[in-house]
Amino acid sequence: MKNLIPKTYAEALEMLNNDNLRILAGGTDLMIQNRSWSNMLPDFKTGTILIFNLEELKYMVQEEHFLHIGSGMTLEDIKDNELTPKLLVDALKIMASPAIRNMATIGGNIGNASPAGDSLPVLYVLNALVVLESVEAMRDVPIHDFIIGPGKKTIKQNEIIKEIKIPTNNLTIVKFDKIGGRKADAISKISFAGAAHVKNNIIQDFRVAFGAVGPTVVRKYDLESHLVGLTLDDVSLNIKEILSEYGKYIRPIDDQRSNKEYRKEVALNLLESFILSL
Amino acid sequence: MKDISKSVRKVDSLIKMSGEAKYVSDIKIDGMLYAKTVRSSKSKAIIKKITLPVIPEGYHIIDHTDIPGKNFVKIIFEDMPVFAEKTVSYYGEPIMLVIGEDKNIITDIISNIEIEYEEVTPLFENTNSAINYHFTKGDSNKAFKNAKKIIKDDYDTGYQEQLYIEPQGMIGYIEGEKVTLIGSIQCPYYVKNAVISILEAEEDQVRVKQAVVGGAFGGKEEFPSLMACQLAVALRKIKKPIKLIYEREEDMEVTTKRHPAWIHMEAAINDKNEIDGLTAKVAIDGGAYIGLSGVVLSRALIASTGAYTIDNIEVGGDVFLTNTVPNGAFRGFGAPQMLFAVEMFIQHIALELELDPLELRLKYLAKQGDATSTRGKFRDPIIMNDMINKGMEMSDYKNKVKKYTEQGIYKGIGMSWFLHGCGFTGSGEANHIKALVKLQKDIDDKVTILIAAVDMGQGVQTTMKKIVAQILDIPLDQVIYNKPDTDLVPDSGPTVASRTIMVVGGLVARATKQLKEKWVDGEAIIVSERYKQPEYIKWDEDNFIGDAYPAYSWGVNIVEVEVSPITYQVSLVGIWSVYDVGKAIDERIIMGQADGGILQGVGYGYLEVMKNVNGKIQHKNVTDYIIPTTGDTAPMETFLMDNPYPLGPYGAKGAGELTLVGGAPAVALAIENAINKKVKSIPVTPEYIMELMKNG
Amino acid sequence: MAKIKFTLNNKVVEIEESPTARLLDILRDKYDFVGVKEGCGEGECGACAVLINDKIVNSCIVPLGTVEGKSIVTIEGFSKTKRHEVLRESFEEEGAVQCGFCTPGMLIASESLLNTNPHPTDEEIKIGLSGNLCRCTGYNMIIKAVKSASKKGDGLW
Repeated sequence: MKNLIPKTYAEALEMLNNDNLRILAGGTDLMIQNRSWSNMLPDFKTGTILIFNLEELKYMVQEEHFLHIGSGMTLEDIKDNELTPKLLVDALKIMASPAIRNMATIGGNIGNASPAGDSLPVLYVLNALVVLESVEAMRDVPIHDFIIGPGKKTIKQNEIIKEIKIPTNNLTIVKFDKIGGRKADAISKISFAGAAHVKNNIIQDFRVAFGAVGPTVVRKYDLESHLVGLTLDDVSLNIKEILSEYGKYIRPIDDQRSNKEYRKEVALNLLESFILSL
Repeated sequence: MKDISKSVRKVDSLIKMSGEAKYVSDIKIDGMLYAKTVRSSKSKAIIKKITLPVIPEGYHIIDHTDIPGKNFVKIIFEDMPVFAEKTVSYYGEPIMLVIGEDKNIITDIISNIEIEYEEVTPLFENTNSAINYHFTKGDSNKAFKNAKKIIKDDYDTGYQEQLYIEPQGMIGYIEGEKVTLIGSIQCPYYVKNAVISILEAEEDQVRVKQAVVGGAFGGKEEFPSLMACQLAVALRKIKKPIKLIYEREEDMEVTTKRHPAWIHMEAAINDKNEIDGLTAKVAIDGGAYIGLSGVVLSRALIASTGAYTIDNIEVGGDVFLTNTVPNGAFRGFGAPQMLFAVEMFIQHIALELELDPLELRLKYLAKQGDATSTRGKFRDPIIMNDMINKGMEMSDYKNKVKKYTEQGIYKGIGMSWFLHGCGFTGSGEANHIKALVKLQKDIDDKVTILIAAVDMGQGVQTTMKKIVAQILDIPLDQVIYNKPDTDLVPDSGPTVASRTIMVVGGLVARATKQLKEKWVDGEAIIVSERYKQPEYIKWDEDNFIGDAYPAYSWGVNIVEVEVSPITYQVSLVGIWSVYDVGKAIDERIIMGQADGGILQGVGYGYLEVMKNVNGKIQHKNVTDYIIPTTGDTAPMETFLMDNPYPLGPYGAKGAGELTLVGGAPAVALAIENAINKKVKSIPVTPEYIMELMKNG
Repeated sequence: MAKIKFTLNNKVVEIEESPTARLLDILRDKYDFVGVKEGCGEGECGACAVLINDKIVNSCIVPLGTVEGKSIVTIEGFSKTKRHEVLRESFEEEGAVQCGFCTPGMLIASESLLNTNPHPTDEEIKIGLSGNLCRCTGYNMIIKAVKSASKKGDGLW
């Protein structure tokens, strides 16, 4: 079984083009998912390519229309970078633990495509684009098209997540909530990201996304568009209706961490609390 | 003479901080093999056929056919097999060990073992009673017959996993016919006796040594005997050193846990609004084998009136067997379940009768001279009134409880009162354990403490040395305590039941006084002491009549919380505790027990969810089974009262379990105060709080 | 298999192993640094924590291939430093050590925290240690110990 360590990004693209390899970044998800008995190698089933040390994937650059975050950036480095949007900082602060954040990469968090991945609702709300590259081409995919199910994403075997592009925005109000079993070091029962821009009491922009309440992050563009242009008073008056509209799309499941009734109720409570705080 | 409570540096801290301390998984022996357990994949089944792959040379299968003695783990009953034979009774039950040098080959062998089962409908309901106890005090029938009102409530409690950070492990080697086992264990002689039984060996053919223990909390009381028996059988056959270390998930799926319990309470209220009678009916889920469940049940039943005196009571309960992982010892041992029910019930009685809960509780608070639930006597001074006042003052309880009762605040404060019987229940110490301790002074005047008590973090090494050094008035480093080795130390009993300082430490103190009298510089002297039950302690084991414990430690816990009305999550705001442990042998060590115990008790009350679905544990790793982190803990303030117990060393009583048992009711009462709904089940999860706030 | 070269407790080492091997296994088995503990095997408990380039990681989920060219410090290496001395004094004084199984990881987490934040508040200490589970102490004595070390070791970090 090949376990390759490319020296350069170009070499990594070549390797991916030549073999069926599992991309391994910080390992914080994959090393757990594939672990064996202690002191045995993890069982990856296929070969791997270890990209954690590719310096070419560790960058953050603000350009005119986009903030570019290299996929190899660790969550801790992104959290501490002054270019990072507040909403993302708020989410990263309460994700996992310092030891995990020092190894986990943003590319890995997206590539893992877990319904409970805490950076995902934020990236949905920020209209993030996932930049995929192979030896042949480079393409941008909106995050909601990139992730199509738990662990499932539209990436070709020879592609790699090169970076995340976050469009510049004028969102002035942001909120992130993570509801885990405990205050730290927990996997989410529900996560919520909200962002809005309000001017003269009128909603100019409104975006919310929910994690861990369905197979993928739930964000409803059409419901959001209904709210744009409304006054805050209109929204408050119609809050029950808004919640019930959202309720149709929040279809969580029971599992060992929580139950569907709680997840749904709290997701809507978080939405209500966000809307009323505008 | 200096006050013994004054803290000294723990003698084992340095090697633990440098990473030098050797836990069992750190031990390597030349030529060592690894063992892995093959387990049942069914909750209940008949094993029809086992087909093994070709076993390469140097690899071994060890199963029930290799057992020289009778196939059971010796503890109380002959019920739990070391390896399953014809049937399996729970998911994860051990069937065989696969042993060899290369873990890859072992894994490969295991994946090619085919076990054909004939499944039998498993039992998950509480219908198969293995043990039933029942006792009365006064005349509860009359009280209920004459009652003006009868108040009834049902309470239930979930599993709790010890979650010692070091998983279970054992390593063994053989020299001639003699097997030596080194393990992460609480009870070297439990292990030794179980191994003697399974091997039908002689006393001197089995040696058990303690490795540094990375936490235990009862989880390493009886369970390690199973691993030791399996390894011993393997050692006899293979004659090479073998290591058996559990992975975390394996540990959480198949090792003993705190028994889930269902408790039905009834109170007979007379026309003066007094609690004239009380009944409690308890069901605990023992899992597939009885193990220690009967003893757990009896401790629960004896705690049925908590810190109160009720004159007429009737108490009964069952250990039910189900096709689930066997439950067992866990700090508190049946008391946490019962004390949760008692503390909630008395609060609920007060609410029902529209009485001030504090006044009602004070009215029934036990006093010196009162009869215990088993018609024994509280002989020693009870200073709970002072302790309650102190706790209320520290926490501003009275103001807060009143303020928080108002709607819409979502803050709460709860106070629990409790006691814990120190040492074994009933006549266990006198009839079963008969503890023996020795002290050995060498010609260089160093004194070695020879006891089987294990330091699993609670500080035994330090406190025992302090007792000896203080009595002899010699420096601490003139006293030696080595980790127990059954070839060297006598059987001073298991490290359980809050007995170590009070009972073993008491014997060590007496032996030290003996040594002091006989002391001659430069001469080797050995002294010993054996446990003698105080004459006035009488216990009728069959009818639960008499003094169930020689002494009681007492406590008050107060917990303040905030509950989010949006997410229903609970945040701990503050924790205050007042304890009567007689006398602290080392104040900082007791404070450490206090902090750790209450967080484990509070965690049990609101955070720690473990369930089985069709016999399979669903919360089987540290990610899914939620214990508190630094982010969840709260500031804690603990006050220790001096109330010396005449027979304990320097007046010390039990402390280890006391600090856990009141945590759950305190946090549950705090949540109740915050949401103004009756809490009847723990853990009080956000999911349950939501249900209560919406419907309850 | 690949040759991986890194610094381990201030010594340059090279090992030929699979890049997907768990760093924890390599440290414990090949280099006998058994002060690094395995508590959960899934990066949740922090008992296996070590420093990579001065930052805490959980070695049970670090693929060996990622440490090429980096500097790793285990509790064995850290215990020879002045900072460890200050921390261990404080841990002893506060009673922050019970069973000891989480302790090496707690000390590594404390070092990692103080490295980036020499004078943390209680809240920052809680966040810094939030990935290290302890079942014995209830954490408060550990939090106090870190606080006290940050005062006593003023200038060290």
